[in-house]
Amino acid sequence: MPIFRPDEIKIAALLCTVLMTALGPRIASAALGEPEITVQSDVAQLGASIKSSEVRAGYRVHEIQLPSGTLLREFVAPAGNVFAVAWNGPAPPNLRQALGKYFDALVSAPKPKFVDHRHLQIQQGDLVVQGSGHVRAGFSGRAYLASAIPSGVNLGDLH
Amino acid sequence: MALMRALWMGLGAALCLAAISCGGGGGGSSGTSSTPPPPPPTNNTVSVIVDQGPIVNGSPIGSVNTLFTTVTVCVPGSTTNCQTIDHIQVDTQSYGLRFLASVLTITLPVETLPNSSNSLLECTAFLDGFSWGPVATADVQIAGETAKSLPVQVIGDSRFPTVPANCSGMSTGTAEDTVTLFGANGILGIGPFELGCGDCDTNSHASSAIYYACGTTCVATVVPTAMQEPNPVTRFAADNNGTIIDLPTVPSPSTGEATLSGSLIFGIDTQSNNQSGTQTVLTVNDEAELTMTYNGQPLTSSFIDSGSNGIFFTDSIVTCAAPPSDPTSGIVDFYCPSNTLTLGLSIQGANGVMANNLTFGVGNAITMLDNNQTFSVFPQLAGTLPAGNAGTFDYGLAFFYGKRVAVAIEGDTTSVGTGPYIAF
Repeated sequence: MPIFRPDEIKIAALLCTVLMTALGPRIASAALGEPEITVQSDVAQLGASIKSSEVRAGYRVHEIQLPSGTLLREFVAPAGNVFAVAWNGPAPPNLRQALGKYFDALVSAPKPKFVDHRHLQIQQGDLVVQGSGHVRAGFSGRAYLASAIPSGVNLGDLH
Repeated sequence: MALMRALWMGLGAALCLAAISCGGGGGGSSGTSSTPPPPPPTNNTVSVIVDQGPIVNGSPIGSVNTLFTTVTVCVPGSTTNCQTIDHIQVDTQSYGLRFLASVLTITLPVETLPNSSNSLLECTAFLDGFSWGPVATADVQIAGETAKSLPVQVIGDSRFPTVPANCSGMSTGTAEDTVTLFGANGILGIGPFELGCGDCDTNSHASSAIYYACGTTCVATVVPTAMQEPNPVTRFAADNNGTIIDLPTVPSPSTGEATLSGSLIFGIDTQSNNQSGTQTVLTVNDEAELTMTYNGQPLTSSFIDSGSNGIFFTDSIVTCAAPPSDPTSGIVDFYCPSNTLTLGLSIQGANGVMANNLTFGVGNAITMLDNNQTFSVFPQLAGTLPAGNAGTFDYGLAFFYGKRVAVAIEGDTTSVGTGPYIAF
């Protein structure tokens, strides 16, 4: 059962987004490693909508419904940075946007030797990207920054 | 199917007439009139092999547990402007025939969308990269089976170098447009459906599109069903209701083998060599998935997949340590138990039918791969599934070793059921 946050952070984030869209240069669409505020810019850039925001023990999760039908979840540490994103749905998300500045690390990462077209597991420095799936059924996966995972958070919960 | 049958009977009649005509010119040495023999059945069997893959720069690319076959492709209408291409991967979890442009020596005509001069391009988002290229048409022959003017994808076609950001963004950003990166000269997707996309005739899928209309720029587009890339088997004149992959048992499963050869047979119950027997028939859902129960857990998004090179599932079995020389090696995602494990599994079709008491082995991936570095057949190669797959067991090509596995296409009926099903 998601616990919806009745608090100010979301409102503040919305206000900030509005202000920065109006006044400032466009925020990079990055989410991973970026402040929570970029969750909102992700939503705008991706033509998506926030489906829910939930507080869990030690972190927050924003669930974003993408136009493709895929759900993208962004995990936010208490300090306010996005430390992981995860997805599940008919199409992979745009990783260039979801990974932001870390997308280049993904592109340049050495490819695993025994790769097929159904799985992806890449570790490049602090960045871990994992995914799997096939046509008709859909795709799921996640990307996280290993050193940014708040203490006490179970990797198994990041999906 | 009625049309197919009519065409087939027409072809049969034409061949009969040809036989009579030829017989008439034979000089009449025999005094008795005889019924002309029936036309020889279409050769519906092509050989398949698991080996180290296509040769690039003098060496095989080093494939493991990857099934390959050979396909002949012609410019539509031509019987001379043709090319026979080996090391086409056989994949039961995708749909359509794709070639790497770098191996094609003939030029195939690109499909043009109706009411425009826009070319039809396709983005195939594999997880490890994307493949971008035009949908072209070709006359395709595999064994004696032919599909005329079949839509196929040409991956990495230099005529269409600009990849939409939404296509490259849906993966690692790596263009799988070389044989080495793609892992084959092409891929033959023969899953249990006609099409990989169920609604691309009415839904362009916007930011996650498969099909693009390309003029000066490329935009996501809907595509008439007939122009989409189908499972080529559905376009054969005969033997078009499914396939059978027949592979021998691997003699030494714990060490593996250099190669393994078998057959890909087209059609089910259409000829004497593809008759159904008493096998277990498991239907699959719309996502080509069924339920596998492992460790007491029913995993409802499981699948049997000739295109997966291992047995992938979630367990606490120890994973491999990366060798110091290759710290980012993908080997860390495979299992490395100290002793070979024998594990149990049951599979339940969407029709409720069970295949019980199956067993599979899990060996030490590093030991197996290091001990025989020129081997390509590893029945006990198994690995982890990435996160978010709590409900999945992905049983790769190893499932097919030592079995005769039929894949029936959606809506097509055989003597033992109606597709989509998998039977073994």
